[in-house]
Amino acid sequence: MRNKLYKWILWAVVIIILAVFPRVFGIYYTNFFVGFVIFSLYAVTLNLLLGYMGVLSFGHAMFFGTGAYATAIALTHIQGFPLLPAVLVGGLAGGLLALILSPLLVRVSGTAFAMLTLAFGQLIFVLALKYREVTGGEDGIGGYPIPPLNIPGVVSVDMTDQINFYYFAVAVIAVCLSILWFYTKTPFGSLVVGIRDNAMRMDYLGFNLPQTKAINLTVCGAFAGIAGAVHALLMKLVSTVGVLDIHNSFAPIMMAYVGGVGSFFGPIIGSGVLHLLEDLVIRFTARIGLVNGAIFILVVLYVPMGLVGLFSATKAKWFHKEKVS
Amino acid sequence: MSPTAVLYVAQAIHGLAYGMLLFLVASGLTLIFGMMGILNIAHASFAMLSAYFCYQVLLMTGNFWVALLIAPVVAGICGVLTERFLLRTVHKHGHLAELLITVGIMTVILEIVKIFWGAESLVVKIPQSLSGLVNFAGLTYPIYRLFIIGLSIVILGFMALILFKTRLGKIVRAAVSDADMVSALGINTPLVFMLVFGIGIWLAGVAGAVAGPLLTVFPGMADQLGMDAFVVVVVGGFGSLGGAFIVALFLGELNAYGIQFIPRLAPVLMFAFMAFVLAFKPMGLFGERE
Repeated sequence: MRNKLYKWILWAVVIIILAVFPRVFGIYYTNFFVGFVIFSLYAVTLNLLLGYMGVLSFGHAMFFGTGAYATAIALTHIQGFPLLPAVLVGGLAGGLLALILSPLLVRVSGTAFAMLTLAFGQLIFVLALKYREVTGGEDGIGGYPIPPLNIPGVVSVDMTDQINFYYFAVAVIAVCLSILWFYTKTPFGSLVVGIRDNAMRMDYLGFNLPQTKAINLTVCGAFAGIAGAVHALLMKLVSTVGVLDIHNSFAPIMMAYVGGVGSFFGPIIGSGVLHLLEDLVIRFTARIGLVNGAIFILVVLYVPMGLVGLFSATKAKWFHKEKVS
Repeated sequence: MSPTAVLYVAQAIHGLAYGMLLFLVASGLTLIFGMMGILNIAHASFAMLSAYFCYQVLLMTGNFWVALLIAPVVAGICGVLTERFLLRTVHKHGHLAELLITVGIMTVILEIVKIFWGAESLVVKIPQSLSGLVNFAGLTYPIYRLFIIGLSIVILGFMALILFKTRLGKIVRAAVSDADMVSALGINTPLVFMLVFGIGIWLAGVAGAVAGPLLTVFPGMADQLGMDAFVVVVVGGFGSLGGAFIVALFLGELNAYGIQFIPRLAPVLMFAFMAFVLAFKPMGLFGERE
């Protein structure tokens, strides 16, 4: 009972903080926060593969980037394309790409999966770079209109206003994250974890492994696509180097790993930590990659379970009663 | 000879030279993977590092040959230190951690290179004796590409001799097929791992150093060489040297002729080829395991 009360209070505090955030911290940190939530969703989708299914996606930027490009292209070419469908188009594109690739990807695991996703990620990157008619090549697509949030007969909110967009983006991502949270709690989610722990046993138990993997992959692709779509709306510019580059595939891996692989909230924490760190480091030096890389190496070396793992280990060490052995 | 034939032969030489470079990089990669189970993402970054060392030594001494000799060795030493102090520490956390730490190393090397040498392309001048063209049977060949091909063949010949004719080579080949068993037989496998890692990086370093004048030295070099080398290793089959050799030469030619006939799609061809092979043979053409 008490635990439940704590939980409600915690959620209320989080919602109040989110609501007053732009008023308190100003426009710079509002946009900063939107970037953080976008990458949180992106890193969570990667963790659904890495932590939950046990395969490392090295080309995750292809889902993110495809989502961003789909949204940008839809907004550029279709007059008066509404806002919510624009986000959904991104998710649809990311999911579709994952679905198309899944027949190949579900057959492999381990290093081969990592390499195959890496290769497809590069394939999409090069394609986007070369097909200038569609994607604008290196320059990317920019200057598309950001439509207002329009609920007919009720309200029309201007999304070019950054504070309004903040609320919209946070709401979209919160909805996505809660969907994913409940998704991991379904029997299907447990099935995915079962594949990670013992694929052969799940196979013998009669579950259809390729199908399960393909569905999980598609879900991850779709939500990464949504993250990309919101990114496109935030940046008002989509370019190959910005969204499809290989370093954009590494970013969520670092976030998931720093935060803690296998924990649902780990990647969100990792995303927050790395974003804060970047904000801090950029005041002293432009070499964010060096700091990030060094921290990543240290985390892999000494804290393989990430910050969440470190936290629970510390908690277990200091605050728990004697271990029952 | 007709101009078209000349063009074809020229492209073939280009492809052969690039394929040889790819194999130099990929051979170390595939050996390391076969022995230690680590796919070294940072492998090509060491090649790039070696190219920068080569540039630096050339700047200081003015002698290309000295640079060519020193740069790969220094890169190899960096590789050995990396293996000893980073990879071995992280070994107990499993393959994923090993894969990820090489990603971190790659990022750090990229940034270090940018700090010391900047982000621009640096031109490495080749010595007088290697620049220019040579005429043979009515055709002209650029000497430097022939030099790359020759050097690669010599190095590979030596490697093959060591690998197939010495005791060390026997141990390495045994470790590729089953490292635990070799260790159980009383051989100091960590030392062998360290040695192979160093030699693998050295090979990549040689490739990087000689590729410098060909591709110019720039921070994107690791991505370019690395991607191609990964495709070679994956398509050839993890741990298979012969597979890597065939695929490297094939990809070199594919690249060269692709640029000539369908320039827009040339970079895509390689990945499409890889997807095609993996669709039918998930373990690669000559691989025996995943």
